[in-house]
Amino acid sequence: MELLNRLMAVQHRKGALTDDVLRGLSREWRVPLYRLEGLRSFYPVFRDQPGAPRRLSVCRDVACRMAAGPDFAERVAQAMMGFDGIEVESVSCLGLCHAAPAALAGDVPVSGSPERLRDGMSGRQPQPLVGDPPAGVAAVDPYRGADGHYGTLVELLDGGRPESVIETLEASGLRGMGGAGFPTGRKWRFTRAASGGPRTVVCNADESEPGTFKDRLLLERAPHLVIEAMIIGGWVIGASHGIIYLRHEYEHAREALHKALERARADGYIGSNIRGSGFDFELDLFISPGGYIMGEETALLEGLEDRRGEPRNKPPFPTQVGYNGGPTLMNNVETFALIPRILQDGAEGWKARGREGYSGLKFLSVSGDVAAPGVYCVPAGTPIRDVIERAGGMAGGRSLYAFCPGGASTPFLPAALADTPVDFDALAQAGAGLGSGALFVVGSGRDLLDLAIQQVRFFRNESCGKCVPCRTGSAQAVSKLEAAQAGAPEEGLTELLEALDETLVQTSICGLGQVALTPIMGLLRHFPDEAARLRRPHD
Amino acid sequence: MTDTVSLTIDDQAVEVPVGTTIWDAARSLGIDIPVLCHSTRMRPVGVCRMCVVDTGVRNLQASCVRPCEEGMAVYTDSEKVRRNRRMLLELLLADYPAPGNREATTGDDELLALARDYGVEHSRFQASASAAPAPVDDSSPVIVVDHAACILCDRCIRGCDELQHNDVMTRSGKGAATHIAFDLDVPMGESTCVACGECQAVCPTGALTNRSLHGLHVLAEDRE
Ligand SMILES: Cc1cc2nc3c(=O)[nH]c(=O)nc-3n(C[C@H](O)[C@H](O)[C@H](O)COP(=O)(O)O)c2cc1C
Ligand code: SF4
Ligand code: SF4
Ligand code: FES
Repeated sequence: MELLNRLMAVQHRKGALTDDVLRGLSREWRVPLYRLEGLRSFYPVFRDQPGAPRRLSVCRDVACRMAAGPDFAERVAQAMMGFDGIEVESVSCLGLCHAAPAALAGDVPVSGSPERLRDGMSGRQPQPLVGDPPAGVAAVDPYRGADGHYGTLVELLDGGRPESVIETLEASGLRGMGGAGFPTGRKWRFTRAASGGPRTVVCNADESEPGTFKDRLLLERAPHLVIEAMIIGGWVIGASHGIIYLRHEYEHAREALHKALERARADGYIGSNIRGSGFDFELDLFISPGGYIMGEETALLEGLEDRRGEPRNKPPFPTQVGYNGGPTLMNNVETFALIPRILQDGAEGWKARGREGYSGLKFLSVSGDVAAPGVYCVPAGTPIRDVIERAGGMAGGRSLYAFCPGGASTPFLPAALADTPVDFDALAQAGAGLGSGALFVVGSGRDLLDLAIQQVRFFRNESCGKCVPCRTGSAQAVSKLEAAQAGAPEEGLTELLEALDETLVQTSICGLGQVALTPIMGLLRHFPDEAARLRRPHD
Repeated sequence: MTDTVSLTIDDQAVEVPVGTTIWDAARSLGIDIPVLCHSTRMRPVGVCRMCVVDTGVRNLQASCVRPCEEGMAVYTDSEKVRRNRRMLLELLLADYPAPGNREATTGDDELLALARDYGVEHSRFQASASAAPAPVDDSSPVIVVDHAACILCDRCIRGCDELQHNDVMTRSGKGAATHIAFDLDVPMGESTCVACGECQAVCPTGALTNRSLHGLHVLAEDRE
């Protein structure tokens, strides 16, 4: 954290880490040049030359691509021509999918037509700020007002048992909401049982899966729930240090967290001898230097340890060997945020919040062709079709064509499967998964192949480059798909892609490479018309 | 706690100390698992994935970094394993400047040798543009760098920073743009390289070779 924090501070102050700057820092800090180069060239927040004074970062991923077309960033750049001091870049999904097409003006979320964005950037008009979408946070906040916050923690410190927290989490059936769906109670048990130190609790707030923005809204509107659950986690696994790893584009969430942390500290929930219990807990907020891969748990740890964010080979898992070699309890924002409610409800009470025999509540980031995109907290077991209704139903007079239930890492499913309930296992059985709970809805008349190719491009763009299959395979897949889309699918393309997919799944180090071709495999499996576009007529 | 684990590799039983990698355990049985990034002199990094084996779980496992576990049944040469290794070779050969500097001179290019073993004669993938600032860097008095032949196995980097402690080399860039670099990504001859030759000695491909092999003179060390 220390070296990257120092580099980020210099980048912020000077606008770039030029060669001259790095030579000076290398001497001053006694860090070899190669290490600084490795970091500077890996993390998107660092630049080797200063850019224009004002920067507009335009999203290029699926929700925005669907809303404004594949050439949106170019049109924005064109509109900006002749305005000095403004730079336009295209970037991966910003977690502003409810406001598609979206962009960041510096660190301010904006949305609108190229002309409207230009007028905002040039100061002719106020910036077209992104509005506040629905977030459904109240459903999981067990407290009436700020005075009640941290009540669950206080009860536990006053004679509760760490073991009973783990038992409740296990019995509740809670699973990780960051994408992998690992049972949370079991993770807490493993980490508590692991020996050695240092022991750390980490909140993964790097949210960058295209279509996912629930963590951002949870942090903006209920940061106290995440903080409280992290402190409880520390108490359960015997850790006195926690770190929140926050995506750098999430400025509003940073402010909300900062405020909530100060308040928790002032009220004695963070610090030494919390509420006279003898338990100490410190909590740091670390701002990511950028990149989707940093959300992968071991890449995140590499980042915290001031290295390039390249995922580690597993095992060992972070529960055993995590931050600085010690046991690390890492959970997603939503996973943590649900825990105070679950501990208040008890396992049975929590489970009863689901429907049709499914357990608990689930936050879904709903975007695409719906009338009211936003975050919806729904009972587990709610059919996808009903979630779309909750989000205002289909927009623009379109009918449902396809939906992607869990972010780019899960494949598109056809409208015929829209009765599938929101649940990890049910969606897996349907051939997809719940992933990060990003429900992306595609209406009739949309170019699904184009959207799927954009998802593969996203993985190529965000590959860390460490392992051969993902670094080379994702790039090869994109160039073949682009050629096919331009009208010339090569002979045997789908067979080659299937074989390449097997190697990506079987041999990639981390989940990114493993799912890089999933969007296309989903089309081959579920959408014969789209698949036909990847075959030669006589194939 | 026991300090050994028992497992089978290609149906042969073996008992090894806890923490032993599958690759080392296989070697003790005389089973050779192909490698590109691994070297017995170095910390394994598991990046080329050529050493993958089947342990019966969902994905193949890179044997150079995967510790053995009690009761594992490992297969190192199944059709599934071989098929995936062939695909990895095809991906690497796509932009490989064959035969390349090493094969054409000393004839010990490890990538091309593996490709021959696996019967991979051509790649179904096309070359992509090189990510490095210049494809060939012959600025060093001793070593020629051919970035197009680099498979990013990380051996040179570990050799430079971890074996020799010369602290010159890194990976620079990210994703498809990743390439090896010296200091702040300057030409090798302008870097703090002391021309020890370690990187060139451990490189499995034609990416780092001695100038003399190119008919170039090895230049006298002209730096302070
Ligand atoms: C490429 C990649 C990106 C990921 N990004 C995130 C992320 O942004 N946030 C997150 O919580 N988990 C992310 N994950 C999952 C984490 O690795 C990890 O499983 C999760 O943080 C564990 O918390 P959970 O059990 O509460 O879900 C990502 C995984 C991969 C492979
Ligand atoms: S699968 Fe991709 S992102 Fe993951 S380690 Fe390999 S190159 Fe990096
Ligand atoms: S130059 Fe050679 S040793 Fe270095 S990473 Fe490339 S292939 Fe490996
Ligand atoms: S030899 Fe094991 S991954 Fe390269």
